[in-house]
Amino acid sequence: MTQVDQRIAAPALEAAALGHHYGEHHVLKDISFEVGTGEFVCIVGPSGVGKTTLLRCLSGLQDPSVGSVRFRGAQVAGPPRELALVFQDYSRSLLPWASVLDNVSLPLRAGGMRKRAAGEAARAALGEVGLGGADPSAYPWQLSGGMQQRVAIARALAYQPSIVLMDEPFASVDAQTRADLEDLVRRLQVDLGLTVLLVTHDIDEAVYLADRIVALAGSPAGVAEVVTVGLGPERDQLDTKLLPRFAELRAHVYRLIRGARTSGPVTTEE
Amino acid sequence: MRTARRWLYSSAIELWLPVLLLAAWWFASQDSLSPYFPSLRYILDSFRQDWLGANAIRNLRPSLTVLAAGFGLAVVAGVAVGAVLGLSRRTERATRPLLELVRAVPGVALLPVFIALIGIGTDMKILLVASGAVWPVLLNTTDGVRSTEPLLIDMAVSYGMGRWRRLRSIILPAAAPQIFAGARTALAISVIIMVVSETVGSQGGIGYFLLAAQRSFQITDMWGTIIALGVLGYLLNVLFRLTEAIVLRWHRLYQARLSAPRR
Amino acid sequence: MVLAQLGVIALAVGLWWYLSGVAPGSVPSPVRTFAELGALVGTGALWTAVAQTSAAWLIGIAVCTLVGIPAGLLIGASRIATDSTRLTIDFVRNIPPVALVPLGLLLWGPTRNMVLLLVISGTIWPIVIQSIYASRQAEPQLRDVARVFHLGRRWWLTHIFLPGVTPFVMTGLRVAATICLLLTITGELFGGAPGVGTQIQNAQIGNDNPQMYAYVVVAALLGLLVNSLIWIAQRRLLRWHPSFRKGS
Ligand SMILES: Nc1ncnc2c1ncn2[C@@H]1O[C@H](COP(=O)(O)OP(=O)(O)OP(=O)(O)O)[C@@H](O)[C@H]1O
Ligand SMILES: [Mg+2]
Repeated sequence: MTQVDQRIAAPALEAAALGHHYGEHHVLKDISFEVGTGEFVCIVGPSGVGKTTLLRCLSGLQDPSVGSVRFRGAQVAGPPRELALVFQDYSRSLLPWASVLDNVSLPLRAGGMRKRAAGEAARAALGEVGLGGADPSAYPWQLSGGMQQRVAIARALAYQPSIVLMDEPFASVDAQTRADLEDLVRRLQVDLGLTVLLVTHDIDEAVYLADRIVALAGSPAGVAEVVTVGLGPERDQLDTKLLPRFAELRAHVYRLIRGARTSGPVTTEE
Repeated sequence: MRTARRWLYSSAIELWLPVLLLAAWWFASQDSLSPYFPSLRYILDSFRQDWLGANAIRNLRPSLTVLAAGFGLAVVAGVAVGAVLGLSRRTERATRPLLELVRAVPGVALLPVFIALIGIGTDMKILLVASGAVWPVLLNTTDGVRSTEPLLIDMAVSYGMGRWRRLRSIILPAAAPQIFAGARTALAISVIIMVVSETVGSQGGIGYFLLAAQRSFQITDMWGTIIALGVLGYLLNVLFRLTEAIVLRWHRLYQARLSAPRR
Repeated sequence: MVLAQLGVIALAVGLWWYLSGVAPGSVPSPVRTFAELGALVGTGALWTAVAQTSAAWLIGIAVCTLVGIPAGLLIGASRIATDSTRLTIDFVRNIPPVALVPLGLLLWGPTRNMVLLLVISGTIWPIVIQSIYASRQAEPQLRDVARVFHLGRRWWLTHIFLPGVTPFVMTGLRVAATICLLLTITGELFGGAPGVGTQIQNAQIGNDNPQMYAYVVVAALLGLLVNSLIWIAQRRLLRWHPSFRKGS
């Protein structure tokens, strides 16, 4: 096999024996898993277990203390160009001084695109996330929480990544908006052929969205199990969640997370 | 061991620059013949004579009296009037243009007016200091009172707290961080006006001393007084920060919690 | 509301009038004061004084802005620089600026230079300190945004860093602008450099109360002008900031 073939065959993202500690505080230990190209993977774990830390390591924002991360077979040192990240807290990751359109087009313009073209691309991305009707010259903080998160997703899409990492993207919106956004992300993943890695502490959300689930538990946290979901590509907020398989998976993941928490050493709460 | 090392390191990093600057001054001025920039050694001698020990009390007392009374008056009046304006939107809006006009008068400009009105004396100086320093306190109090979290007020009302209780237990504590910020500016302004006010008429006081030293070409004494003013300003600031740290303990901890990396 | 505001001002003028009746020797009536002011407007003396004071203020604030903001931002960007300068800055900024007037008088006499020494030594600190603070407060999450989306240094600086520090820097500038005017007038009144402050002083020495009051009114108008300038600048630069948001 040639070098090129090997790279295509390699998984989109891969963690190998990854561990991390802040000073004396060991957060992650011996984490290995991979995300296949075009796959939707969710990382679940209780609050404070180290999900954000893991995601920062995977995205190249932070070097892990031990082990390594590979993106399409190449060692990650700094965020790869084809990767986009949607942050945990939209109110802190959107620029409050820039309009919605400028927020979305900024990365493109910084990448050398002309103002006109970047604006067009940003408008298209905003349309994609269902904000086609919103005023693009509004400031993000003039929008509702759900709309702000859509802007953050549009920013990631406009960047034309092949993989999108999301850190609890729906943690601070109401239940109805949350369901809408879940379906939006699911649809975009299928339509655009994206690879998505989404972090959440919500087991239902993970089961509903993912092709595979990486369950984190323990302190320091490790991979309790990688669960294959197998609910098929079509998901529906009502029907899917009523399937016996759904309930089974939910209970299984719950036990994985809880079990390790109660039997292991006391986990550090935030 | 580890903490001792860290402490040593952090003191070293905070101290090297001041030490270097002082040493540079000391050696650069050592053989100075310039009448305006005497040797640091003589300056320190003069500082010790005039501003440490028994002399210090005599020289400083008038200044500190004016400062304490003027600043104190400014804080009390500023908080009282500021709270009233903060509580009543109507009054605040009605008086705003007048307040803007009055506060725009640079405090020092009123010195001649006060002399004409009240005459030269300690009372005049106290009032002058207060009238210049009251504005930052007043405006910040109004702002702080007005931006008290409405939910907290609703809570207080629902628990049947009366007006006075609400003001004391909810509104003023909530506004305290902003009041302190205003008071800090007020303190700096107080010192300036205090020094200026002492240059007229009076005998004694740090401002009088400063001008007298300059007028009679006692350059070393003048430098000594400048250093004394620096030390005084610094100590006042330390005192202020201590008070703030005690009164606003909750706020400091709360802020630290808010700004800690939340990831 | 406008009526109420006018009413309050009328009340204040009424009080002034009353006082001038009680102590006619030391308080001139509003009418006399404004008549005096009207007479002064026709003379060159008033405008020269205003021009001198404004020029000193402008130069002072300009120098402090151009030096203080970059210096503060740079110091704040580095932990070591912040720690190293903390004690020194803390000491120097607490020296009451008037302490330097005698030195300025010795070096330059009652001149603009003397005033500038006073003004700059007092005005620069709020700006430097707020800039250091601003630099330290920069939202860490936005740093990550910049890295993930590969914003280059220039874009990060102009679109993320500078807009982010502006609110803090503006707070410093607002305080600095007021202090700057206070110190300009102080330098004139206390040090005798030409300007509005000296005119007040001269009127007092000459026992010309109406003129003294007229010049105090001029000083107040200058203060009002400074405050409105700052307010306009803030409005323009910080439209997005929570304190300026409308109905959200
Ligand atoms: N920069 C840091 N320095 C020191 N400790 C940190 C840092 N960031 C995170 N931690 C600690 O690491 C642990 C894991 O934090 P992390 O933010 O990764 O958890 P999380 O699973 O994302 O939590 P949440 O669900 O609340 O977002 C926590 O105990 C936290 O206190
Ligand atoms: Mg997290």
